[in-house]
Amino acid sequence: MTDKILTHIQFSNINKYYAKKHLGIFTDRKNSKTILDSAEIELKGGKCVLLTGHNGSGKSTLLRILAGMLKPNSATVATGFESLSWKKANKLIRRQVMYLYQEPYMFDGSVTRNLRYALNDKQLGSKANHQITQALKWANLEHRAETSAKCLSGGERQRVALAQAWLKQPSILLLDEPTANMDEESRRSTEELLRRFKDSGTALLIASHDVNHFSQTMDKRLLLEKGKVFEIADHVNSAHDNVSLFPNTSNKLKA
Amino acid sequence: MESVSSTILEAIALLFSGDAELWGIIGISFRISTTAIIIAMIPAVLIGFTLAYADFPGRRLLISIFNTLLAVPAVVVGLTLYIVLSRQGPLGEWKLLFSQTAMVIGQIALSFPILVAMSHSAFQSVEIRAWDTARTLGRNPLSAFFIIMKEVRFGLLGALLAGYGRIIAEVGASMMLGGNILNSTRNIPTAIAMETSKGEFAQGIALGIILVSMAFILTMSLQYMQGKGSIRT
Repeated sequence: MTDKILTHIQFSNINKYYAKKHLGIFTDRKNSKTILDSAEIELKGGKCVLLTGHNGSGKSTLLRILAGMLKPNSATVATGFESLSWKKANKLIRRQVMYLYQEPYMFDGSVTRNLRYALNDKQLGSKANHQITQALKWANLEHRAETSAKCLSGGERQRVALAQAWLKQPSILLLDEPTANMDEESRRSTEELLRRFKDSGTALLIASHDVNHFSQTMDKRLLLEKGKVFEIADHVNSAHDNVSLFPNTSNKLKA
Repeated sequence: MESVSSTILEAIALLFSGDAELWGIIGISFRISTTAIIIAMIPAVLIGFTLAYADFPGRRLLISIFNTLLAVPAVVVGLTLYIVLSRQGPLGEWKLLFSQTAMVIGQIALSFPILVAMSHSAFQSVEIRAWDTARTLGRNPLSAFFIIMKEVRFGLLGALLAGYGRIIAEVGASMMLGGNILNSTRNIPTAIAMETSKGEFAQGIALGIILVSMAFILTMSLQYMQGKGSIRT
């Protein structure tokens, strides 16, 4: 089942709270802080979902849970094929989901070395160099191939991370504020690369507090507030999507 | 003044003469400390890594315990292990006291907290983002662990050097657990202490020169590697 390419995944009933701990050992459930309260989200191949919400609303937490980096207190996952336990889903997620930080982490060494880390064992054979060259070309980074990745600008780092994603070819790409603190040119080139991912059938989920960005790319806009996800039905492209994002209409918020 | 300089000259002559007893002591010292650091290194690095990245109950308590152990004097470690290994002690049956094995155990106990604390801070210097990035790129946990090890290689080397520095020059635990037996458990620090108490400084100075030279070479090589790392692209 895990070898099937994901074209559709639904996460529902995602709950996450942080409980206070005494002496770092004893959990105090009464003084817990709820971050996500029965949040739900659906992602489809070739569609781009923009997740908005004010700073501290839990966007990063939600993305990190979807990326399998953070364990939720509870969650249900269903793909187009089956319902999965969190443990099984996590395996699938690790293989098919990729998460990009606002400021992507660059490992010690050249851009080429950083790209090499994104290749799986099968890709690491004789064609590895060719694949890396292609990735550099795709992200317009050929002139930076041998530069130390730690010395790159924010925009270039984001392009390296996207080139890594291009090599890994995930079914779902999660991006946390991908264009924050970027100049106009870097923002445009990042958006262009994201559009290419979308066109190739990748499901995109972009968390951004700036609602005006990605208007050309997004198909849905969601709002994360008080731990719940609401759909904002104000986008022109939403008419094209014939499947409702949430069967449960009580979660819908009119904007 | 003349006697000091003549003793130093005598010490250098002793080193170059290839004195069997002197070089035997040096060999024992390096053998015991190298064995101890190799045994301690792998679990200590794994614990340092776990303390830096994993979230489990009692993590902070463990960090405090290891930091406290850093400050325990070598003599106290020696005394504790002496009691454990002595004939009436819980491990008395193993008859390990006054053997090289006892010294290795003592040196493992001494270097372990340093290795854990320093590798923990080395791993902490690389944010959790590094680990998460390696994992989201599709690396399995083992492969991600080696990528992070590479990121913190100089911090880990620093931990190794600090740990090695502590045990190779330590006299208290070696004396109590080894017993300073010639050709068996007499190492550089116990020999220096004994020769000095006898008023024979030449051998002590010769051994001191070895220790200082070793510290110099290790520090220089670390600096060289760090320098090379920083300009590498």
